[in-house]
Amino acid sequence: METFWEAFKRHGVSRRDFIKFATTITGMMGLAPSMVPTVVRAMETKPRVPVIWIHGLECTCCSESFIRSATPLASDVVLSMISLEYDDTLSAAAGEPLEEHRKKIMKEYWGNYILAVEGNPPLGEDGMYCIVAGKPFLEHLKESAEGAKAIIAWGSCASWGCVQAAKPNPTTAVPVDKVITNKPIIKVPGCPPIAEVMTGVVMYMVLFDRIPPLDSQGRPKMFYGNRIHDTCYRRAFFNAGQFVERFDDDAARKGWCLYKMGCRGPTTYNQCGSIRWYNGLSYPIQAGHGCIGCAEKDFWDNGPFYERLTNIPVPKQEADADRVGAVAVATAVGGAIVHGVASKLRNSGKKEG
Amino acid sequence: MRIETAKKIYIFSPGLRIWHWVNFLTIITLFATGLYIGRAFFLGPTGVEATYAYGEGLTMGLIRKVHFIAGYVLLASFIFRLLIALFSKRDRLVLPTLWRRDYWVGLKEITLKYILLMRDDEGHEYIRNACARTVYPLVYLAILFMIITGFGMYGMSNPSGFWASLFGWIVWFLGGEFSTHMWHHWVAWLIIIFAVLHVYFVVREEAIKKNGELSSMFNGYKFFKGKPVDLEDIE
Ligand code: HEM
Ligand code: HEM
Ligand code: SF4
Ligand code: SF4
Repeated sequence: METFWEAFKRHGVSRRDFIKFATTITGMMGLAPSMVPTVVRAMETKPRVPVIWIHGLECTCCSESFIRSATPLASDVVLSMISLEYDDTLSAAAGEPLEEHRKKIMKEYWGNYILAVEGNPPLGEDGMYCIVAGKPFLEHLKESAEGAKAIIAWGSCASWGCVQAAKPNPTTAVPVDKVITNKPIIKVPGCPPIAEVMTGVVMYMVLFDRIPPLDSQGRPKMFYGNRIHDTCYRRAFFNAGQFVERFDDDAARKGWCLYKMGCRGPTTYNQCGSIRWYNGLSYPIQAGHGCIGCAEKDFWDNGPFYERLTNIPVPKQEADADRVGAVAVATAVGGAIVHGVASKLRNSGKKEG
Repeated sequence: MRIETAKKIYIFSPGLRIWHWVNFLTIITLFATGLYIGRAFFLGPTGVEATYAYGEGLTMGLIRKVHFIAGYVLLASFIFRLLIALFSKRDRLVLPTLWRRDYWVGLKEITLKYILLMRDDEGHEYIRNACARTVYPLVYLAILFMIITGFGMYGMSNPSGFWASLFGWIVWFLGGEFSTHMWHHWVAWLIIIFAVLHVYFVVREEAIKKNGELSSMFNGYKFFKGKPVDLEDIE
């Protein structure tokens, strides 16, 4: 395989632009400026890495996000940085020969290719809920993972299960790490993940030939280390107690904090507050809508999205912790009074016998 | 008329009594501030630019700060409580004695008393009745749970910092940060329900037996007619 620098030259990129590009991506990967020479050297010497990108039960929003990466451009990543050998969604028209190509690449680069998984395998009915190339995706996944160097779990589907695994999970959809246990798995959650986070992870892996530092949950530390709430530009309003209470109130127009509208920023680890979306243009909170916690495990089950507290299942009632708690305390006080009077009566007078 | 001689027995060490009231005050503070954190039922100063609102009365920032300071006090007093239990026997009264016959006899008696089938002056006398013996350890666990989840959430603003390395695991153990918030919230209510019933049973004991139950957590003494069954636990 040719190196990135060779691929860049082939595309007519000047040395100056190449260095600029290396500097930018160093920042995007969350590395210090002193790392620029290392990145440049890596780009000059490291061969491009073959990537097999497979799709399971999903909505393809991760791919949609990925192709909108601006720094670096997704096209740069796909055409010059990695060697995208297989993507069944993009190459659907290719048919049978594509499967042959996947097998060929797997054999040729056994132990060296990266497997990118978008979506997840449903286990129900022997995996029949998701068929790829005539076989259950479950088998497709296991087979493709066999010779992979590492696996990238794109999005909340591959990382946590996401919407198809929400209660009651009719197809028994499970995240990738429930099926593949003998390979390093990098979780890049989000529904979808931020484009620049996706390209950042890929670049880190190909440039340094190792997986990025992960937290205890298997997510790259540099992208999932902070809560949205701790990087949110509306945080000052939170601390001041200035809250939006309805989407059409004055506070909403002033851009106050969306905490009372159910914002999940305080409980969500992602880069929306700092990298933002669409080349840093905006992110949901900036657009006036609370975070729904899309990068968090089981976020679909932690609704309602527009309430701060979840509902507690009480028959025929909408009830959250504070409501149930207040009723329980009132019951306890009432019960204590009644029990107290009864106890006093029971113990009045002399002991019999 | 029979004259009953009451025996005055020293039960609670000064350390335990101080711990109890510090614990009570911090938990009330934590609950009041915590309820506001979970449900901001009033707004902060709305006429002031957010940047300058910090000095202006009850803001979310101030209420959270009070919650965290009280959280540190709760942790310190919890450690203190463990230490005194390590060094003095009477401070270990809280450990349940499930392996002893008198615990099960007492559990039957206290149940009959609480469902009013037995008079309170019947049966055996205990320094600590079996119901309390069962519930207090759970209360300590609940407080420990609040400390672990509290400092876990608190610490995650710096995921490689001290508190996150110490207690950060709880966030993932409970299935994510959101669930951790909810568990912290639910157990807060459980502790308050305990407190209500606890105060009731203390007052009930006092009103029926006039045995110094209520004042025991201030001066350390309770009164007994004879020799309590579980006297060995403190002597
Ligand atoms: C959040 C509130 C409270 C908590 C968590 C709490 C917790 C406890 C605990 C854990 C013990 C057992 C101490 C030990 O031996 O290790 C205890 C004992 C006691 N508490 Fe509280 N308490 C609270 C509020 C109160 C209040 C408001 C009163 C006063 C009315 C009170 C009166 C007593 C008394 C008299 C005892 C000794 C009872 C006995 O020997 O069984 N407590 N409390
Ligand atoms: C018995 C003791 C405690 C009670 C009753 C209590 C109560 C509460 C309640 C009701 C909440 C709101 C939960 C939510 O809906 O998000 C809360 C939040 C919180 N508490 Fe506690 N808490 C206690 C102990 C602690 C301790 C020891 C700490 C440690 C510093 C702590 C730290 C926190 C943090 C970090 C939050 C989240 C604040 C935020 O989201 O802005 N708590 N607490
Ligand atoms: S809008 Fe959401 S993330 Fe931003 S400060 Fe408010 S609660 Fe936190
Ligand atoms: S703000 Fe929250 S819900 Fe929106 S994309 Fe970011 S993590 Fe997902």
